[in-house]
Amino acid sequence: MSAMDAQRFETLAEAHGGLITRWPAAEQDAAYAWLAEAPEAAQAVLSQALALDEALDVLRPPSPSTALRDAVLAAAPAPARPRTLARWLTGAGIGAALAAASAAGVVVGVQVAQAPTEASSEAAVAVAVEDDWILLPDGENQS
Amino acid sequence: MRDLTLSGDPDEALVARVGRGDHAAVQTLVARKLPRMLQLAQRMLNDAAEAEDVAQEVFVRAWKQAPNWKPGGARFDTWLHRVALNLCYDRLRRRREQTMAEPPEQVDTGPAPDRGLLARDTGVRVTAALGALPDRQREAVVLCHYQDLGNIEAASLMGVSVEALESLLSRGRRALRAALADLRE
Repeated sequence: MSAMDAQRFETLAEAHGGLITRWPAAEQDAAYAWLAEAPEAAQAVLSQALALDEALDVLRPPSPSTALRDAVLAAAPAPARPRTLARWLTGAGIGAALAAASAAGVVVGVQVAQAPTEASSEAAVAVAVEDDWILLPDGENQS
Repeated sequence: MRDLTLSGDPDEALVARVGRGDHAAVQTLVARKLPRMLQLAQRMLNDAAEAEDVAQEVFVRAWKQAPNWKPGGARFDTWLHRVALNLCYDRLRRRREQTMAEPPEQVDTGPAPDRGLLARDTGVRVTAALGALPDRQREAVVLCHYQDLGNIEAASLMGVSVEALESLLSRGRRALRAALADLRE
């Protein structure tokens, strides 16, 4: 327990008000002990501080308006949507379609590779220029 | 009852759920923190419209932060306070710059028909007395009295020692008591 005397008691009341429960936790036990030791003087100090507390408490906490509350809620993160059966099925459908497309691509690729064409003898090379693809005859490609 | 975690942050689990887009958690966080942030900004700025703007901006940042929130450091509530205070100080700085560029008109301090009425309105008096405090004293009083933060947390938020916080609180409350002395007569 920290040391307490009349002066410290007064200082604490002046800073933290007339309720010892609102004083620094580390000094509350000593304050109660002082209150028991010198009740008249200590109570007078508390009463004076309480009078100011009561005046300050005339200001009640403002209530947020509906408009403010709505604006705050409107800016909040979107609610996490539960994964419904319909969404799951949609996802599964997209997955199945992608798998089918992928499989078809493999089949076509194998067939193309197995069937030599005239174009393959001219060895056209595709190069990318930004977003466009250009076919250049063999030998005209430059690094 | 709030979730208590190993980190000691009662908001940790809630923030994690917000980060995953849990709408119920979003609504709970708004119900729990929006009034606190609005009160902090209102007491610091003494302007309802500006306080709403600050509170809204705090949450814009909170929504961005939630998915990346790492428990174990500052409490989420402390982080929210830090963001709100920074936004308040930005606005207070802008006000000062505008005031220097355009000096306010002289305030008439003579008697006025409604002055007695205003003097009897304790809320108006308290608001004015808080507004007249130097920013750092007002910040200390707001954090400890209105936001109910402990001295260690408030001092950490303000970047000062616990002793310096105590000094700011004492000076702030002394000034408030002097400004409101007639209310207790």
